[in-house]
Amino acid sequence: MTAPAPATAPRDRSSGSPPGSFRRLYAVFLRHQLTWGRAAVILGLGALAVVVGLALRSGADDQVTAGTEFINGFAFTTVVPICALVFASSSLGDTVDDRTLVYLWLTPVGRWRVAGAATLASITVALPLVFVPLVLAAAATGAGPALVGATAVACIVGTVGYAGVFAALGLRVRRALLWGIAYILIWEGFVATASDTAAKLSLRAYTASILSQYTGVGLRLGSLTLVSGIVVPLVVGVAFVGVTTWLLTRVTVD
Amino acid sequence: MTAPAPTTPADPAPTGPASTSAMVEVDGCTRWFGDVVAVSEVSFTLQAGVTALLGPNGAGKSTLLRLLCGLVAPARGTVRVLGRDPRRDIGVHRDLGLVPQQETVFDRLTALELVETCALLRGISEPRDAAAGALAAVELDPADPRHLPTYSRGMRQRVKVAQAIVHEPAVLVLDEPLTGLDPRQRRHMTDLFHRLGDEGRCVIVSSHVLEEVERFGSDVLVIVQGRLAAEGDYRAIRDLMDDRPHRIRLRTDRPHEVAGRLLAAGTVLGLEVTGADTVIVETDRVHDLRGTVASVARVVDAHLWEVVPLDDDLDSVFRYLVGR
Repeated sequence: MTAPAPATAPRDRSSGSPPGSFRRLYAVFLRHQLTWGRAAVILGLGALAVVVGLALRSGADDQVTAGTEFINGFAFTTVVPICALVFASSSLGDTVDDRTLVYLWLTPVGRWRVAGAATLASITVALPLVFVPLVLAAAATGAGPALVGATAVACIVGTVGYAGVFAALGLRVRRALLWGIAYILIWEGFVATASDTAAKLSLRAYTASILSQYTGVGLRLGSLTLVSGIVVPLVVGVAFVGVTTWLLTRVTVD
Repeated sequence: MTAPAPTTPADPAPTGPASTSAMVEVDGCTRWFGDVVAVSEVSFTLQAGVTALLGPNGAGKSTLLRLLCGLVAPARGTVRVLGRDPRRDIGVHRDLGLVPQQETVFDRLTALELVETCALLRGISEPRDAAAGALAAVELDPADPRHLPTYSRGMRQRVKVAQAIVHEPAVLVLDEPLTGLDPRQRRHMTDLFHRLGDEGRCVIVSSHVLEEVERFGSDVLVIVQGRLAAEGDYRAIRDLMDDRPHRIRLRTDRPHEVAGRLLAAGTVLGLEVTGADTVIVETDRVHDLRGTVASVARVVDAHLWEVVPLDDDLDSVFRYLVGR
């Protein structure tokens, strides 16, 4: 049997990335990010936060302080970074592990588009999974609208910042989940508390500062301004898209 | 099943698959991983047509193909595809297609979605139509709604081929593309690759199935332990292997007389009468021998039924090169 020829397709010969490539990459990453297992873990943590928030409401004397410390201590040291880690590290990391990166890499698409689409897809998946339960948890504590608003803002900027960092980590190292957890525990949880300078190199300090500035509750690491608390994590997220872009130009593709 | 797209003339890249200059140039390429030298000082050029890359397992074939695509950077040397560096100049990826060795494909996509995605990312303006045509070319149903993990190994292999040809690349790199295919599909794919080569594309295909490689044509690159052992037409390569006497089988009704005369003529290094009508001759002057055999047969009034080279096929050439 004679093989039929593949269709002769009109080709875009411009030198830049093909039109629609970012949207297509975003759709592919998005589709591969969300699994039932991952969603269950994150929603489980969120549900736990809501339950504890309700418990605080009924048991705490100072609901604002207790609620703010709980949200800072649980939501922004565990739920947000872990959720961002799970999704962002897998965005490009999974394609490295299962060796499908070659299909995305061997294209004339600008590397920043690949990095940006992967990071944006992980934010798209992670943000609703942390935003909704953590805002509900903040409301459940009875601390008032200031904590709810602070939690909402900190969720957004924290997810963006962590997603940028962990997308790069997923591309750079194998077993990115373990490295990411080590980073969260050692750097964010321990090194950041050593000095003010170290704290400024920790995303946790910025989310803590947002909570502290909104609610007026003094928090450890929460001494930065509200503006820096909002701006710096967003800048970190964008900067790490740049790092991921650079890594993509140097990666050895299997 | 959607009807295959009509056969139309290829749409060659501006850089020109049919141009006379080398489409692929590898110059002094070396790549190592840790202490292991995967590819060492390899140089060659490729024109349009099909070239087979041969070598035993672990010889460095896949690393060489990855170097050609820019997936890995050479530690030394240069790679040029259509005159451009595939590692740094991603624009050339519009004209490069690869069937990677690994079986994995995106497991949440259908075949059409994967091939369409590849078409779009490589600049095809009607990616869905192109994807349907490419899938039809490999005899897969573009309308199949199943996700790729449900496909058999051979079907996934054909999807990989479809994504590699969907954008009609000038240079097509195929790493063990026949793996997992049944005999009929192997034949079909071989015909497809042959036709793409005939259209003026540069097709380089690695395989360890030598009978199928022979069907691709006679141009080969043989890589052994990371080094290029030989390149070109394998029959010409065989002729150049003067340290390996050619073995030729003669069948005649007077084997002993023919054998004696051949020894006397001095064009053979050795011979053996192996049956009632068979003589196996070893010679390093194969072209002289052919004339000598004819004249000897006339002299002794023998009928020659067969003069067959026993070791100038690809398998023998490959064994000699690898065994060196």
